[in-house]
Amino acid sequence: MSVTVLKRTFSIALMVATCVCLSTASQAQDKQLLDLEKDSLKFGFIKLTDCAPIVIAKEKGFFEAEGLQVDVIAQPNWKTLLDNVITGELDGAHMLSGQPIAATIGFGTKAHVITAFTMDLNGNGITVSNAIWETMQENDPALQSETPPHPITAASLKPIVDEKLDGGEKLQMGMVFPVSTHNYELRYWLAASDIHPGMYTKSDIGGRTDAQVELSVTPPPMMPATLEAGNIQGYCVGEPWNQAAVAKGIGVPVTTNFDIWKNNPEKVFGVTKDWSDENPNTHLAVIKALILAGKWLDATDESGKLTNREEAARILSRSDYVGADFDVIKNSMTGFFYFQKSDKREMPDFNVFFKHHCTYPWYSDGVWFLTQMRRWGQITEPKPASWYDEMAKEVYKPEIYLKAARMLVEEGLLAEDDIPWDTDGYKEPTSEFIDGLTYDGKKPLDYLKAHKIGNKE
Amino acid sequence: MLRPTPEKTKSTKVPFKYRLVKAVDVAGLNFLTPVVRLCFGEEPRKQLKDIGLYIVIPIVAMLFGVLAWFAVSEMVVTKSGKLPNPTETLSAAGSIWDFHFRENDKLSAFEMTGAQRDARLASVESRLAELVPLEEKINQEVAAEGKLAQERATQRVAALQKKYDKLKTKLDSESKEREQVLKAKSESVAQDDMAAKKAYIADVRAHRKSLEVAKDELRDLKSKIKTLSDLKDDQLAAAVRKQTQIAEERQYLGKMKDQLTKANRDLKVTGALEKLDLDMASFFDAEPSKMYAAASKVVKAESRIAKLKLSEYAKPSTLPFQIKRSVLCVFVGFFIGTVIAIPLGVMCGLSKTFMAAMTPIVALFKPVSPIVWLPVCLIISSAMIPDPDKHFLTQWMWSLPILGKYQINPAFLASACTVALCSLWATMTNTALGVASVDEDHLNVARVLRLGFWDRLFKIVLPSALPLVFAGLRISLGVGWMVLIAAELLSSSEGIGKYVWDQFNNGGSRSFANMVVVVFVVGIIGLILDRMMVVFQRLVSFDDSPTAV
Repeated sequence: MSVTVLKRTFSIALMVATCVCLSTASQAQDKQLLDLEKDSLKFGFIKLTDCAPIVIAKEKGFFEAEGLQVDVIAQPNWKTLLDNVITGELDGAHMLSGQPIAATIGFGTKAHVITAFTMDLNGNGITVSNAIWETMQENDPALQSETPPHPITAASLKPIVDEKLDGGEKLQMGMVFPVSTHNYELRYWLAASDIHPGMYTKSDIGGRTDAQVELSVTPPPMMPATLEAGNIQGYCVGEPWNQAAVAKGIGVPVTTNFDIWKNNPEKVFGVTKDWSDENPNTHLAVIKALILAGKWLDATDESGKLTNREEAARILSRSDYVGADFDVIKNSMTGFFYFQKSDKREMPDFNVFFKHHCTYPWYSDGVWFLTQMRRWGQITEPKPASWYDEMAKEVYKPEIYLKAARMLVEEGLLAEDDIPWDTDGYKEPTSEFIDGLTYDGKKPLDYLKAHKIGNKE
Repeated sequence: MLRPTPEKTKSTKVPFKYRLVKAVDVAGLNFLTPVVRLCFGEEPRKQLKDIGLYIVIPIVAMLFGVLAWFAVSEMVVTKSGKLPNPTETLSAAGSIWDFHFRENDKLSAFEMTGAQRDARLASVESRLAELVPLEEKINQEVAAEGKLAQERATQRVAALQKKYDKLKTKLDSESKEREQVLKAKSESVAQDDMAAKKAYIADVRAHRKSLEVAKDELRDLKSKIKTLSDLKDDQLAAAVRKQTQIAEERQYLGKMKDQLTKANRDLKVTGALEKLDLDMASFFDAEPSKMYAAASKVVKAESRIAKLKLSEYAKPSTLPFQIKRSVLCVFVGFFIGTVIAIPLGVMCGLSKTFMAAMTPIVALFKPVSPIVWLPVCLIISSAMIPDPDKHFLTQWMWSLPILGKYQINPAFLASACTVALCSLWATMTNTALGVASVDEDHLNVARVLRLGFWDRLFKIVLPSALPLVFAGLRISLGVGWMVLIAAELLSSSEGIGKYVWDQFNNGGSRSFANMVVVVFVVGIIGLILDRMMVVFQRLVSFDDSPTAV
């Protein structure tokens, strides 16, 4: 017994001695540190403001608090990013929601990629060139104002498309990746106004069959330059590349994806299934840090003002992260959006990183992407409704998310009601789309049938 | 440039002067030769003339270049900003260095211990306290400057705007008037007067045409107003620059504070040790039923401490690191290329048949662009090293003492192979030429002496081919360096090429200047590499031989 007592007094003495300098460090010690299989990691990202959770988790020390040292490395385009995750060059990455799904079902590179964390909601915009905007204004007098009424549909774009088609040309627009949210949103916006954006078929993997408007792939940071060079007349991309077009005076954002589908899922944090199986505890630790980063990003004061976003914009503007000017990043990050230099609007939900249970990996989000892949022919065969559910469950892993969240609640870092504990993974049906259709994740086939353009089953 | 070599005719003991001249010459710094000669008082007039030609004129040209750059940068205005002038470029270079040093600071802060850490923490905190009021002040300044800039912009366009408004009202009223006139005229056109009707339609057409003209005029004016109001405001830009500087410093100090406190390795280890003691204590106290759990807790804590002690700060790669990695990559590629090119070249030179067999292959692959080689190399190298984190080859390379920190991965190897494939041709053809043009007399001597194949190769053929081989190597290295930047840009292998691409993708106001900095970095390193090869080439060349450039 005396040994124990001695040990105890010794340790107490040691505690007292180190307590002074450890005042901040000791907080982290209350955490239940996981038994990490791997403690130095490499994550990839694309230069977009919605990579914020990863960058913030690193810069604000959320990764370190979990005992992780993380390298955050910019990737040139989505294809390279995905390939690097699959080959193991990267441990995980900021991915388009469609990427893990497409990789898992084998559209493009085949590999089993999973996600246990949704990084954000919303955050994209559709920008058209100045010339197109002027013609759109001529077509629709309501747009001839400094602050035209929103949402703006593609109806006023239709005459331009028709005129081009008569002249034997097709309007060219840019999106960032075949399975990106941007592709589906741009298609949704066009199709909602009866403009056919083209189908993918077995032989046409460019998705241009029957197209009235041709869509092509351009990496996000290249969008403004490509628009300026005249190769495309409009594009759909994430921030800051819409605000950059406004800042440089080369284009006008006509709508955001918030108007196309209110609070739509955007990016996820993706890893390969093999990686997750080999490093289960590391994966949990990463998800814990990312949840806290999301929470930090969405922290508000009593008046509902986002408190940490300005600092986040400052961090993101560093040249090894997003690198665009602080002023440009700040707009959307602090809840504003410039549609034109003279048209600044408040959009507090332009980027959502934590609210609305956004970080939870919803099966219904996965199903929505699958319906769009089927609608535009990327999935070449009709599938039964059960297949959609199975595939979503292959990719979205709420069990990992909930485990990580439970640990955070026990550590007192998260409130009980921040997390939807008892959900079956399907969000309530919603009809907050630009065309007013209702989407119920449990009835994917009904949703497919409801659209005018695209595959119906 | 052939230079007379008087030292050869002198006695065996070469005077210091000539040795110095020779050294300068071999070092490839022959523009310094007249200076050396002048110091020894040799033909001052001629030397001064040479100094003027080889030193003064290049310097004057450089100065002219800088002035021209200043002038041109004012003229090249793009939507991504003005072409940065020399001062802006210099300050961009400064901020690249700052970033490098700050990241190094964070790294050392992560590793600091004891009193040193406390001292650093105190200095960081005091500077942070200083910055708070500064930041507030600059924020207000920027806000005020923004308002002023707005006013200045309105003022700038006021005259034009007025003109525009006036023109618009004028054109509007004119067109309304014409419309009225036309409508009134329609009354007077008789129902069956075809000619009058045709004239009427012509009138309407003319009216529409003048409407379009007016519209164009207005559009022109509007776009002029837009360019004028969009002009960058220098005062505002200066204020924003200052604000950015302060905000970045605060960001850096905030992170430094973290690195010195909660993220500090030593503190984390101490904390973990302390917890280990507690765990140990509870293990000693534990009842038999809980002993296993307590013991495994202790063991886990121990292994975590071992890991913690080895943990390193994940430092982002900065330009100096990327430069070093690029140089390493070009040498790896150059080495691979040389190892292939020299034996093939020697064989081509020795045997006419082999040369004939190789010619079509060389001719076919020589013109292939690096942009084509790279994806091919990338696919092959990633297929060969499927999981770089665990593959034995990468594991082995990462464990090497100096090379390890450069993280050689498939993208690196692909870039290096691209360099090799694009650069080996010059070495190969030059080697072949060198070997083929060995003096017939030398070979005859070898025959008389009955030298074997290997002796002939190493004692006669290679030594006399060496100057040409090195001339080829010099070209190869130059080509390789150019190719590498493109290869890195595409493969996103960490290096100068990736840095340029990232900057281009950033599209921020400073990115343009950063890219111009890289232009100089690439140029200077290329120059150094070239000079280095010149030195090697001189060392193996005989005086007066055609390759002693």
